[in-house]
Amino acid sequence: MGLLTILKKLKQKEREMRLLMLGLDNAGKTTILKKFNGEDVSTISPTLGFNIKTLEHRGFKLNIWDVGGQKSLRSYWRNYFESTDGLVWVVDSADRLRLEDCRKELNALLLEERLAGATLLVFANKQDLPGALSKEAIREALALDDIKTHHWSIIGCSAITGENLLTGVDWLLDDIAARIFTAD
Amino acid sequence: MEVGAGNGDTGLSDTVKIPERLLRRDQARLEEAERRKDAKESQTVSEEKSDFFSATFNSEKAAIEHLINTCPGTDRDAACKTLEEVTHKIQQLQKFLNDSMMFLTSYELRQAQASVQKLQSSLAEKRDVALPKKKFAFRSRQAGAAKNTETTQSTAATEKSKSDSVVGSVLEAAISADMCGFSNADSKVLTKKADEIQQRDVLLSHLTNCKVTLYGSPSTLHIKNVRNCQILCGPVSSSVFVDQCSGCTLSFPCQQLRTHNTTDTKIYLHVTSRAIIEDCQNVAFAPFTWTYPGMDDDFIVSGLDRERNNWSQVDDFNWLAANTPSPNWSVIPEAVRTDAWEIAVPSE
Ligand SMILES: Nc1nc2c(ncn2[C@@H]2O[C@H](COP(=O)(O)OP(=O)(O)OP(=O)(O)O)[C@@H](O)[C@H]2O)c(=O)[nH]1
Ligand SMILES: [Mg+2]
Repeated sequence: MGLLTILKKLKQKEREMRLLMLGLDNAGKTTILKKFNGEDVSTISPTLGFNIKTLEHRGFKLNIWDVGGQKSLRSYWRNYFESTDGLVWVVDSADRLRLEDCRKELNALLLEERLAGATLLVFANKQDLPGALSKEAIREALALDDIKTHHWSIIGCSAITGENLLTGVDWLLDDIAARIFTAD
Repeated sequence: MEVGAGNGDTGLSDTVKIPERLLRRDQARLEEAERRKDAKESQTVSEEKSDFFSATFNSEKAAIEHLINTCPGTDRDAACKTLEEVTHKIQQLQKFLNDSMMFLTSYELRQAQASVQKLQSSLAEKRDVALPKKKFAFRSRQAGAAKNTETTQSTAATEKSKSDSVVGSVLEAAISADMCGFSNADSKVLTKKADEIQQRDVLLSHLTNCKVTLYGSPSTLHIKNVRNCQILCGPVSSSVFVDQCSGCTLSFPCQQLRTHNTTDTKIYLHVTSRAIIEDCQNVAFAPFTWTYPGMDDDFIVSGLDRERNNWSQVDDFNWLAANTPSPNWSVIPEAVRTDAWEIAVPSE
């Protein structure tokens, strides 16, 4: 292996990002992941554990971790925090009755030391549903404006139509890249 | 194939290189494939009617967009009037869509529903800009207390104490006309027809001793705080979310079933991916047997695979341990399964 190859390999490694996707059960995390990757979304089951996907996007190698959001699994979330560059918090925008749970779980995450350096993307998912709250309403309900510790953005999307998934991921990559690859 | 999803300790890592260009193209290809599949599935659809629909729908949509875009930003009264008109027009458009759905393919239906939803968000955004005020209020409610009584607006000054006041309260959007379902009823026969629920998100909550029948294909269904009820529903495109039910009989087809805090309940189920239970006891399952006139069409609208029913593969999230079966759920013995559904007759 020549020096150049080794250098390239190193550089490649630098351009890796680790994204952690969390949110209450039924929010649509796995559906977002599969849709983004162009896979069939009609056969997805509630996640018993986690899924990990590695894919290349805009020259970045993304390691995306999708962890199940059932109540009984939430205590395991912390096992996935290490070296997370971007946190994707997925919200079912039509599930008004659990928005308060949703806010609490997110707040708790933002206090985690190991997530301190991560950029936060909130996906206000299921915007295709007639009863979905707008991303502005979600932003208020989750008190996002109070977040001072993380770079964040909220984007309304639909994992079923695919609307705005790319926009969201692109924003996340830009923000992370600006933070960690500025030496380039 | 996805079924089985991730599993606890071994991460399966597949490396796929997908440049954005390819991703987009693949997306377009998939959509095209879906469009073609839909076209094939609904040969009975009258093309003429569907053309008439798109023409009318699109021109009405354009008119509404124009109204929103030209809404005066400075004159509050004028803006208020325009936005009222927009609200009304969007409602009419939704009604037109509901009335037309019988001859639309599920693709067209979804597209049109997405367009209406988009208009709703543009309206909400415009309203924020032109008539700034709080968009929703936190409203406290005791469990089971009557709904639709009064909405108390929380003032901006209470913003700081929000985290406290929110506890045990319900988030109520000012623009919640889109909510659909039944709440707070006792000993009632409740029915909704396809045009009311088609591809919408439906909520049934705080019901006791009721018989609920939902004809049509909702996009998703939430059932919360329900006691001693029978609930029948047509094919649900995505998930059914059940929380805090007891003594109920439920029957529906869906993509996923997610059951929580539920006891002594029978579920006659068609599920194309998986049913799960969490914090449940004595939940029993059997295959879906209810039928009603028009159910075939609703299955097509839902996009569910009729040949694929995993009703007996239930994951208990509190019982992940060994190979011993979960004590929290069972299969209803054939001998005691119901197949004579005493249903509410839709009033015509
Ligand atoms: N209408 C609509 N349904 C969606 C959307 N995204 C996901 N769903 C549906 O919501 C249900 C839950 O989606 P999942 O992707 O399994 O949710 P999850 O967040 O991975 O849930 P857990 O694995 O339990 O944490 C499925 O039935 C999806 O089809 C969306 O944008 N619109
Ligand atoms: Mg999942």
